Amino acid sequence: MAMIEVKSEITGTVWQVKKRPGESVEEGDTLIVIESMKMEIPVITEDAGVVKEVRVKEKDPVAEGEVVAVIEG
Amino acid sequence: MGRAEARSMGWKAEIEEIHRRRRLAEACGGPEAVARHHAGGKLTVRERIARVLDAASFREVGKLAGRGTYDANGALVKFEPAPYVMGIGRINGRPVAIGGEDYTIRAGTGFGSDRRKGGQGGFVEDLAYEYRIPLINLVDGTGGTVNTAKRKGYTVVPGYGQDGFERSVDLMEIVPVVSAVMGTVAGGPSARALLCHWSIMVRGQSQLFAAGPPVVERAFGMPITKEELGGAKIAADTAGTIDNVAESEEDCFEQIRRFLSYMPQNVWELPPEAPCNDAVDRCEDALADIVPRSSRQAYNMKKLVEMVADRDSIFEVQPAFGRAVITCLARMNGKVVGIIANNPMFGGIMDYKAARKQAHFVELCDMFNIPLVFFADIPGFLIGPESEANAMLREGVRARYVGLQVSVPVFTVIVRKCYGMAGGGVIDRRGLNFKIAWPSAEWGSLPLEGGVKAAYKREIENAPDPAQREREIEEELRRLASPFRTAEAFAVEDLIDPRETRPYLIHFIDALQARLKAQLGPRRKGGVRP
Repeated sequence: MAMIEVKSEITGTVWQVKKRPGESVEEGDTLIVIESMKMEIPVITEDAGVVKEVRVKEKDPVAEGEVVAVIEG
Repeated sequence: MGRAEARSMGWKAEIEEIHRRRRLAEACGGPEAVARHHAGGKLTVRERIARVLDAASFREVGKLAGRGTYDANGALVKFEPAPYVMGIGRINGRPVAIGGEDYTIRAGTGFGSDRRKGGQGGFVEDLAYEYRIPLINLVDGTGGTVNTAKRKGYTVVPGYGQDGFERSVDLMEIVPVVSAVMGTVAGGPSARALLCHWSIMVRGQSQLFAAGPPVVERAFGMPITKEELGGAKIAADTAGTIDNVAESEEDCFEQIRRFLSYMPQNVWELPPEAPCNDAVDRCEDALADIVPRSSRQAYNMKKLVEMVADRDSIFEVQPAFGRAVITCLARMNGKVVGIIANNPMFGGIMDYKAARKQAHFVELCDMFNIPLVFFADIPGFLIGPESEANAMLREGVRARYVGLQVSVPVFTVIVRKCYGMAGGGVIDRRGLNFKIAWPSAEWGSLPLEGGVKAAYKREIENAPDPAQREREIEEELRRLASPFRTAEAFAVEDLIDPRETRPYLIHFIDALQARLKAQLGPRRKGGVRP
């Protein structure tokens, strides 16, 4: 089991948190939606597993490259 | 030895001496230096050349160049090969010129022959120029050394002698030039690494800078590692100075071969066509609903492009830099095309990096007669104080200026948004002005949101219920914005079922090959700007 850090690829504000710690996720699932430049930009996991940690909440600012969630997969 | 005896021996001794000297050259900087180089996880320049090229296709030139030390009888006692290996070889059966510094010999610094053997000017560049064949530079050197002054007895003005980059610039307008940064590269070789059409570096192994950590620390009192100063994260991902990043040397060689597979040998030839094993009339159902109905929602543009181009034919150029736009070489029915697609995952908005990336890619494709296909979903230039400070306007207008100079046919597939000055940059105004749109398309000089308030300010303010009036005007304009109305007016050349995109484009790309043939040759002086 590896801990996989999921990063936001864009600077913006957290609009929605779609997955909570403990939930199972599949590859390609949207974990968080970032609002940036009036667009909803999904943060997608490239790995299946279980959400261990969500490091942001709604309305939090996020920077490009910031870890927003950790998946155990 | 008597005269008769010497005559009977012919040239055996000299011929043997040639072979001996070749073996000496093959030893690079000697077993210890080679072992040190290998211990750092790196291949020698000879191993690199052998791996980039088709098997056993390398024909070296100048193998005997170097510094010999002789004894009192004139016999060679020591030989240091010139720290640069070069010659011709083949990639996918086609000839290329190739060269690279030998880092195991005095870190690949120049050796001061009358005629330059190294990569900055000299034989290998002349070879590519005279034969009109691509050039591959495997850059692994740190440039000049202050020792030169000691040897010459005087100092020189930069650009002196054989390394003034003139030939490097000449090459930019006639043959494909590839630079691979293989190690820590500074000074002259770092500039040479940029005088190319496409460049690559190896993550964790290659660094590139104008001057390395010791010089930076001395100037700014700032300790910094070479990876922090010029590793892939800075040189490629952040600055876009180097185009692509490889994960290993093998990956790097594979990418070089792949890049050249899309390139013609020179500007007088068409890019090579490949057999197409993908159905020309493939219509992917997923294209019908890939674009969300809400224009706020992003979708996967890379997947969209993959569904349209020939399967497995996409090679992304600058994948990590300026990610609001995707630039890739690809094939449609086996013919090379350059695809430029806005990436809604990064807002699709053109920032200064995306503009620079687009302009460079357009110039590259134009020079090598590669037609362009835009997949447009572009809300405009990135606005705001930071973007203005980054010269958004200058970079954005430059992208448009370059777009207006192209000679290759350009198609525009308007997938969703096409707004403003940036939107104008995806259209072939100089040529056929051929735009096909999907039903999800919307366009204008600026998006309705915001635009209404600005254009109808007085009318809205004077209305009894300003908010209500604003909504009414917006609704009225939205009805007019239907792509069907624009298609009726033939102000967009076609409105298509998204699933038809691939066969539709292929019809025209097949048909335009004659046009490309009719315009072969150099485009403009200087070719592609670095």
